[in-house]
Amino acid sequence: MLEHLRILDLTDERGLLCGRLLADLGADVVQVEPAGGSTARQAPPLPGTSPTTSMFWETYAAGKRGVAFDLDRPEEVAVLRRLAGAADVVVTSWPRALLEPHGLDPAALCAERPELVCTVISAFGWDGPKAAYADTDLVVWAAGGPLAPHRDGDLPPLRISVPQAYLHAAADAAAGTMLAVLARGTSGRGQVVDVSAQEAVGVATLARVLATAVGDDHPEWQTTPGQRTGRTDQSGSGAATPNSLKKWHCADGMVELHLSMGPAAGGFTNNLFAWLAEEGAVPERVAAWDWKVLPERLVSGELTHDDLDEARAAVRAFLLRKTKAEVLDAAIRRRLLCMAIFDMEDIAGSPHLEERGFWGQVDIGDHDVRIPGRIARVRGPEGPRVRGRAPLLGEHTDVVLKEWLGQP
Amino acid sequence: MAGTTVNDHQGDALAGLKVLDLSWVVAGPLIGRTLADFGAQVVRVESSVRVETARLMQPFHGGVQDKEGSALFGNCNAGKLGLTLDLKSAEGQQVVRDLVAWADVVVESFSPGQLARWGLDYDTLRADKPDLVMLSTSIAGQDGPWSTLAGFGNVGSSLSGFQHLTGYADRLPMGTFGPYTDYVGPRLALVTLLAALEHRRRTGEGAYIDVAQVEAGIFFLSPQVAHFGYDGTVAERHGNRDEQLAPHGVFPCRSEDGADRFVAVAVRDVAEWRALARAMSRPDLADRADLETAEGRRAAADELETAVADWTAGRRAEDVERVLQGAGVPAHLAVTSDDYPADAQLAHRHHLVELPHPRHGTTWVEGPRYQLSGTPGRPRAAAPALGQHNHEVLSRILGYDADRIAVLTEGETLR
Repeated sequence: MLEHLRILDLTDERGLLCGRLLADLGADVVQVEPAGGSTARQAPPLPGTSPTTSMFWETYAAGKRGVAFDLDRPEEVAVLRRLAGAADVVVTSWPRALLEPHGLDPAALCAERPELVCTVISAFGWDGPKAAYADTDLVVWAAGGPLAPHRDGDLPPLRISVPQAYLHAAADAAAGTMLAVLARGTSGRGQVVDVSAQEAVGVATLARVLATAVGDDHPEWQTTPGQRTGRTDQSGSGAATPNSLKKWHCADGMVELHLSMGPAAGGFTNNLFAWLAEEGAVPERVAAWDWKVLPERLVSGELTHDDLDEARAAVRAFLLRKTKAEVLDAAIRRRLLCMAIFDMEDIAGSPHLEERGFWGQVDIGDHDVRIPGRIARVRGPEGPRVRGRAPLLGEHTDVVLKEWLGQP
Repeated sequence: MAGTTVNDHQGDALAGLKVLDLSWVVAGPLIGRTLADFGAQVVRVESSVRVETARLMQPFHGGVQDKEGSALFGNCNAGKLGLTLDLKSAEGQQVVRDLVAWADVVVESFSPGQLARWGLDYDTLRADKPDLVMLSTSIAGQDGPWSTLAGFGNVGSSLSGFQHLTGYADRLPMGTFGPYTDYVGPRLALVTLLAALEHRRRTGEGAYIDVAQVEAGIFFLSPQVAHFGYDGTVAERHGNRDEQLAPHGVFPCRSEDGADRFVAVAVRDVAEWRALARAMSRPDLADRADLETAEGRRAAADELETAVADWTAGRRAEDVERVLQGAGVPAHLAVTSDDYPADAQLAHRHHLVELPHPRHGTTWVEGPRYQLSGTPGRPRAAAPALGQHNHEVLSRILGYDADRIAVLTEGETLR
């Protein structure tokens, strides 16, 4: 869909994903690296190989072409700027302190070429009081909101165990770039797209960052009907239910299950108890509850939290006899909000993902490795798919100079 | 911002784009929210009988649970026109068909197969409108063995590997904060949708886009997937530690007004490590040879985390942030809802946007996450109340006359 677009990609690990998305969608994405190689080539996970092979680089630089320049040599920087002059889009996450001395900052590039779309990804935005802050993925996660409310008991707040913040920012950058490309289709003019990773991760708080602003001083998640605030988690998502009530051991691992109640999602829990009842795993009195109206019965005192505990105990004993596969199968057949907790091995073995054509095959070193290959499936135009392996350092410098600059 | 001197404003990036939003909760509505921010006209259809989940979720205006008070709903739907419709009725379905005829884009998030039962699926709709761009978002996709899976985004985070990867190594998996794939799916959906619009602009060809939250989530774990494929390594959760950087963690600070306070601290190289040790007045650590390498610091992680925690314990989180950033060490307080409106950087970028609200006076939403110098986005209005724009949509957009609207109202189609 984007075969007509030339993207010059000056990102490091902070923005690497942006160009991967645009390349998957068909654009000609040329990844620029300093002569010593991108720092993203050192980003974990790093299997203990020599030389270093970064799984981060190999997946998120996949499908790009690669050029390398010595940024200490003015004549090479001049060639790089000429490539920017031949591009529809420049996307960068290099630090401002590196871009400006080389005339590669958005203002300089757009001044030379008004129809250029120049997208810049940074932790806090291009300018402002924290723009020069030292940053890592964790620091952005803390600054943008998703860290603080995510507590496991009294322990300090938790992040996801692998970097995520900049992936959100880089994906946003791809969308922001496309908005500017569409605008250019009408106006003929380019512009700067200034992406803040701090802002990007606010969405990952489920609007919790807005709580104080709208005057909700107790938006905590641990609220159940008939207790303290009297508010009800009727979401079905279990968002307002504590972790220990949503994780259950099964015969070969763990499952995620939220006993949802209320009109929108209580029906799913009715389905679960129908399964238990069929196998005689729950007292008839409990099996007869309608979870759609349970909040009212709890608030009225007709049922108590001891009754809820009895229901949970029945579920706990039942699930210990079931495997992850059985739970997943039942979730599909019986419409349950009940799910096996998958690890990377489970994902690799999923028949569903196989049937959907989700995987792409790329060479990583001398291995042929399956990686996520489709961000979406599309009918009509050719949809997104991974276009090939990540480039070697400077692998396409000559051919790109020839194609983009007409150099022999 | 980066380019305000380069371009003057060019109007709206998506001026003239017409969008029918049939989605609900978070993953679908966030797509239309961005389209509205950048100038599209978005009509959102919902039911006032089966009230959509996001309206039932906190945070709430004034802390009061009310279907017109959810800031989550407000954040996902700002700037849209709201129409209530009984989609189960033939009359309601005809209104949708008329809206499809008006629209360039349809976004929906029903269970796979539901729209086909109503005769509103892509294959039926495109017969009358071949250049339609339609996007379906669901937990596991429109086909395949998992496609009938019921679920919200937390099901997505279980199947995509995030549940397993969040938590302390010696404790239960904690899972993500909320339905994580709801935050990932719409970003990948949006860029694909915008690419399809660019393709349509150039060729006139429409498209159907099938986004699966599980697949979007796994895409954000591509490096871990590749690691398993490369040598069989299964990624495991390890609290706040990093595979490479050390120290790397979240540390308790002095409580303020009875509330726990924390700061995130991470060290990328030996220079930052020495700067941290000096800031903590620990020259003994700064000078230790075994801590010069990341490997050495990882080996001493327990000791170093204790040293940092001892130092932060008596200090205010924002003081730790200021002192460490002053020394060039990555650090930031763990921003809470209370901190968010006061954050100097977010305020500089006017990220929180105040909007007039008919019931609450004003409301607040997050602004766009990217500033476009020539065609900036902004939320145009608060999210609609149930049925707020019924008349406007039917009369002005669809051109229904008063009699027809009266028949729909009396027939209880508009609910």
